[in-house]
Amino acid sequence: MPSPRTNGKSPLFYRLILPLIVPALVLAVWQVLSDKGFFRTSILPSPLAIARTLQSLLLSGELLGHLKTSLLRVFEGFFIGAALGTGLGLAMGLSRFLDRALSLVTGLLRPIPTIAWIPVLILWMGIDEGSKVTVIAVGSFWPVFMNVLQGVKGTDPKYLEVAKLLEKNRWVVLTRVVLPSILPSLFTGLRVGLGIAWASVVGAELIAASSGIGYMIMYAREVSQPDVMLVGVVTIGLTGLLMDFLVVRLEQRLLKWNPHPEGGRA
Amino acid sequence: MKPSRSHLKIEGVQKDYALPQGNLPVLAGVNLDVAPGEFMVLLGKSGCGKSTLLRLIAGLEGASQGTIRLGENPVEGPGLERGMVFQEPRLFPWMTARENIAFGLRTGTDEKEGKETVERYLALVGLSGFGGAYPHQLSGGMQQRAALARALASHPEVLLLDEPFGALDALTRIQMQMEILRIWRERRGTVLLVTHDIDEAVFLGDRIAVMTDRPGTLQDIIPVKLSRPRDRSSAPFVKIRRKIYNEFFQTPRKRVK
Repeated sequence: MPSPRTNGKSPLFYRLILPLIVPALVLAVWQVLSDKGFFRTSILPSPLAIARTLQSLLLSGELLGHLKTSLLRVFEGFFIGAALGTGLGLAMGLSRFLDRALSLVTGLLRPIPTIAWIPVLILWMGIDEGSKVTVIAVGSFWPVFMNVLQGVKGTDPKYLEVAKLLEKNRWVVLTRVVLPSILPSLFTGLRVGLGIAWASVVGAELIAASSGIGYMIMYAREVSQPDVMLVGVVTIGLTGLLMDFLVVRLEQRLLKWNPHPEGGRA
Repeated sequence: MKPSRSHLKIEGVQKDYALPQGNLPVLAGVNLDVAPGEFMVLLGKSGCGKSTLLRLIAGLEGASQGTIRLGENPVEGPGLERGMVFQEPRLFPWMTARENIAFGLRTGTDEKEGKETVERYLALVGLSGFGGAYPHQLSGGMQQRAALARALASHPEVLLLDEPFGALDALTRIQMQMEILRIWRERRGTVLLVTHDIDEAVFLGDRIAVMTDRPGTLQDIIPVKLSRPRDRSSAPFVKIRRKIYNEFFQTPRKRVK
């Protein structure tokens, strides 16, 4: 008997074909309307034109060069932001003293949108690589920090009681009980943080960049190349999708003890 | 578990919880003397303080008044000579059954010896072959078996069981009752089991301490002098069960001093 959720259709249909139908339809309609002359090509080129530009940018190596620059920036910023977020989240979660001492500061800083830091960072750090990486680090810091902090505070007291009964020392409690129990929250934080880091790359590359996907998009606008702009936009989307997929896969591999991974189905 | 040589003595134990409206007495003057190797059952309604008494013996909470001693040593906190199993298994979901049981070993246990102990207790609770399974892959009964093995791994003299079968279905519960008897008879440690199930109490206990509620006191201590295995439908069994039933629903309350 087929399970009710898949409605008798094959899992292949649900996993691979169904998600592709909507984008395929959108592209087809867009192409047809473009061919009929509904859109001005200087504003919205047709999907096929964008695909041709994508092909030539790929073949010339230009796109991959920009992508590589942006990815390096994102990974650098994300690594710093996630490390600081994990560290501070753990410290504040484990120490009531630190939590009280810093909660007002973090509460005040958290609502500030990353983009608001850009002028400040330019003033402080100049227009070098440092300020771009810092923008990304700030963006990815918050979700990691918040999730780790909540994870530590949410450690089930029942588990801590078991460790207490078995006379485990603080180090064992931290490494074998608290840290594993926050892994699902940590992964949620990392997943959101990486998404934000990647999404803020364009903002970061507003700062006097001379390469990178964000730069490519901004430059294409200046020289009126909407096809190149859209190739850049699509590249950001596809890369973000791929990164998210990889994080979810990593979580499923590492947390196979968790029957309800927060990442859900990849 | 290992054979117990120490008396568990509970003397004048009182426990109050501080509430905004004032002190809430949970236990009032409980006296109980559990012999080494005895299977003692604490029987009472929900909220009568029987679990609180067990937590005091475990050292998870301190008594407001009175003393608890195991042998010569007053209980002042958790200790590995007292193992505990809760109603819910409380297995760490990120550890396999084997790793969970190994977590119960005393810190500094020799690695080889520890491995042997874990395998022995896996077998003792009937989980050989499931050592590599994560808790979510095990049934409720199997999870509780693993929790029991974890509590046994540090060789406690006293095993404290807080309604350990309460969340299991009736058939699994009966099976687990027989298992715990088997393990107790093999290991000869002291067992203190908290339950609200009269049938379970009569089936398992050497003696049954019947508790009143609000605040909790011992109303009566009933010896069960029936040989094991006990037949739940035999006349003496039913007689004791009826006697306990009447304690709850007929006689006026008196206190054991």
